[in-house]
This record gives sequence, structure tokens and C-alpha cells, in this order.
Amino acid sequence: MKEEIIIAGFGGQGVLSMGKILAYSGLMDDKEVTWMPSYGPEQRGGTANVTVILSDEKISSPVLDRYDIVVALNQQSLDKFAPKVKEGGMLIYDTSGIHKHPDRKDIRICPINAMEATIEMGNSKAYNMIVMGALLEAMDYKLPMENVVKGLKKSLPDRHHHLIPLNQAAIEKGKSLI
Amino acid sequence: MKEEVRLMKGNEAIAHAAVRYGCDGYFGYPITPQSEVLETLEELMPWETTGMVVLQAESEVAAINMVYGGAATGKAVMTSSSSPGVSLKQEGISYIAAASLPALILNVMRGGPGLGTIQPSQADYFQAVKGGGHGDYHLIVLAPSSVQEMVDFVGLGFDLAFKYRNPAMILADGIVGQMMEKVVLPEQRPRRTDEEIREQCPWAVTGRKDGRKRNIVTSLELESSKMEEINEMLQARYREIEKNETRWEEIDVEDAEYLIIAFGSIARICDKAREIAREKGIKVGIIRPITLWPFPAEAIRKAAEGKKGILVVELNAGQMVEDVRLAVHDSLPVEHYGRMGGIIPSPDEVVGALEKRIINK
Repeated sequence: MKEEIIIAGFGGQGVLSMGKILAYSGLMDDKEVTWMPSYGPEQRGGTANVTVILSDEKISSPVLDRYDIVVALNQQSLDKFAPKVKEGGMLIYDTSGIHKHPDRKDIRICPINAMEATIEMGNSKAYNMIVMGALLEAMDYKLPMENVVKGLKKSLPDRHHHLIPLNQAAIEKGKSLI
Repeated sequence: MKEEVRLMKGNEAIAHAAVRYGCDGYFGYPITPQSEVLETLEELMPWETTGMVVLQAESEVAAINMVYGGAATGKAVMTSSSSPGVSLKQEGISYIAAASLPALILNVMRGGPGLGTIQPSQADYFQAVKGGGHGDYHLIVLAPSSVQEMVDFVGLGFDLAFKYRNPAMILADGIVGQMMEKVVLPEQRPRRTDEEIREQCPWAVTGRKDGRKRNIVTSLELESSKMEEINEMLQARYREIEKNETRWEEIDVEDAEYLIIAFGSIARICDKAREIAREKGIKVGIIRPITLWPFPAEAIRKAAEGKKGILVVELNAGQMVEDVRLAVHDSLPVEHYGRMGGIIPSPDEVVGALEKRIINK
């Protein structure tokens, strides 16, 4: 098992923390993991991305140019990373605000409307966990939910642990989008 | 304490490792991409547990001079910064080396020259291994390629620094500083007691309670013949370090036709390139210098025997490649591939460079 994943979107959408929760969940599932962020001024707006690798074996490069899975959360990220999905790989993208949709025929494309699902849930902070739910559902590697919950506990500070049920609900909502 | 597997950034790992080692003091000044070292230490509040001092100095220059002072008393002290900040520290580093003091300095390199960028770079190789400051001195330079090595090299760096009474540097880059990986932290060691320091560091300025001879720590010697003696002593020490402490890693070198030589996180990108090249039928091996000084010249010379060519990959315009060329003389083609300004080459790009610059040349 090896999943090479990039998650890309606007700074502030929760891209880096989603990657962190995914990495922690993989760690709880006894996988080797790397988490490599773009750490520039993206934190203050603009585009941010994070590469997460989950593997049974030792991971060589934490930096990649082709991915098994691309998760794109805005048009710029979609344009930049859709061509970098490996043949037979998967592209998950949020359709809200997208005017130019991907047209590759050699990959699996999963459009989701995570923004709409977030509005339905009535909590804008649930957005990244909805996207993560969709990713977990679409991924070949099935990460057990109990390890995702452990990952949430590990990556969130104690003062936010009361929000774990909300995060779980958002993940479930995201899974239903696939 | 039970071995605990955790996920953390390289910079955070440095902070945890310093506390666990029993480090006595950290003096720093924030700069991206290594500010998490200081931030994590402030969060850990080791002054309440081990008694370690954590101090944000007023500048990089102040921080390195606090290290100089702390080291003179036999304490295990360290500082960290990124490229422009490490340039500011150079005068102090030269003094510490001249005064034969142990200390640990971390450079999480970013793209230069000047203020440059905050993205990863390896353009401070020359500065770290060839001097940086003035005078004939060397730092022991360790190049970590993983978060685990960030942890391990804190202990190794301090151990070597004390063994040889010579400052050690961890030369990392923005990738290994910012990425998160699994780490196993060492067990908590107690800080050395004043008695242990007096016993283990008879040169340290610890107060003459026992009526011993006065210890003087200085880098100043106005009498030329004595200054030459000090230099000869330093050079003898450097030869000893070269003999005992050269470290490197080899991957798939034996049956390889071509070698890629790279250090730090870039060696991992090159390792992925090795996998891709081998799938295409190109037999590539990797040599990763772990100590950049002392440089594994002899290991490279031996490994290069019978090979068709070497590609040196670095995040700079060509620095370590000079040491590789010195190691192998002109026995085989040695080419360089580098990206600058914070751009990171992809594994495919490295394979492309190997094909273009070495194989099909």
C-alpha cells in the first residue's frame, strides 16, 4: 500500500490541518507517513498545498511531481495539479466556484460539492473534514474510522477535543458525497 | 520512559531532542523556516522540568555570544537560525572554534543570497564546511535527511562537540525543518551536575572553589609563535576528527553504473529518482554524505571506481560538487544539477538531468 496525495486550495480552507489529520490517522493505522507543506505566505491567503504520503514501507522523497490522488479546492489548484495525477489515479475537486472542469479520460474524476454540504451542516469550519470524508471514501486504501478518530485526537489540542463528534459527523457527511 | 512514536516537524523535533538530551541552554532569535524550534521550546517550558534555559535574544549576534559564554562554563548550549541569521553568527562561531569550545548550531537553510526567500535551499554548504567565519577552523557538519535524524543529530552533535571540544553544526534545510514524519524520541537524560561538568570539562570556567589552576577561555593570542601552536593543535584535532568521524550512507552502489551524490532532504528526492531510473533499466546508486565536514572523500573515491559517471544534485549553483571532484580527481565525469532560490527539483527532473548531463553526454 502506498498513497501519494496532494491537497491544494486557498490558505485558510484548512488544507494543512486536513493533511495533518490524515497523516496522524495513517500513523494510528501503523503506516509510514510524511507531511510536507507549502510553508510560504500562503497561510495568509493565496494558494496552499500539502503533500501527504501514506505507505507500508519507508518513504523516500517527501516531494513529488505526480500523485495517486489530487484533492483540489479551487480553480488555480485544479489547473495546476489535475495534469499531475498519475495515469489511473484519482482527482477529487470541489465544484463550487469552478468554471473550467477537468477533461482527462485516463483518471478517475470525483467532483464533490463540499461547499454546499458545509452550508447544509451550518458550520463553515466543517469544510475540510467534509472534504476529508470524501477522500477517505474514494481512496483505495481504507483507513478504519477508529484510527481516524484517534488521528483527530492526536492532532487537535485538548481544548478542541469536544469538537471531535462534530468533525466525525462532517467526515460522514463527506463520505456520502462520493 | 517508554519509547513513543510521534509525528512532528523537523524543527519541533529539534526542540524536543534538545530537552531530552539534557541541554543546558538554548539562545535564539526567530526566522523562517526554523521559528518552530524556539516556539516549541517555549511551549515545552523545560525551565520548569530539567532547568534548561530558553532565551529569545535581542539578535542573532547576541544569541551566538550567549552560546560562547555558556559553552565556556562547560554547559551544553545551542542556537538555531536560518541562512541570513547564521551569517550574522559567523564571527561568534569563529571565536567559539578558536577557543576550543563545544556548542551546537542549527542552520535550517533558506534560499539566498541576501534576505532571499523563505523556501528551502542548500546554498550555505560552503559557509558551513569551508569556514564561514574568519581563520583556519572547521565545524563538524551533520546533514539530516529525515525528522528522525534531526532528533538523532542533536545528541550526536553535542556528543562530538564535547568529545573534540569543537563546535558542531546541523545543516538542515526548509524541507526537513518543515515536514512532519514519525519520530522516536530518546529517553530523558538529566542535565549534568556542576560536579560532573567540573570532572568532565577540566578546561571550563567553573569557579576555583577547589583551588585549581586558573582556566582562561579566549580566542586571543598576540604572540605569533603561540598562535601558530594553537593552529597546529586545531589542525591535529581536525585530522583526528577526519579519521574517526566521517559518516555517509550508500544505497545500491555495488551494481550501479552511475552514482548520484546528494545530501540532506535532497538525497531522498534522489533516492526516489534512483527507483524511477532502475525501473527504466538505468542502474543508479546513491551516496549520501552524512558528515559534510569531515567529507567522505575516500568513500566516494572507492565507490566511484569502475562507474561511468557521477551526478551531484544540490539546492545551489554547485558547491558540494567541488568536493566530489576533488575526491575523484578526473577519473570519471562529474556533473552538477542544481535548483536555486527555493525551487525543489522533482524526482523525474533528477532522472532527466542524469540522462542529459551524464548518460547521453
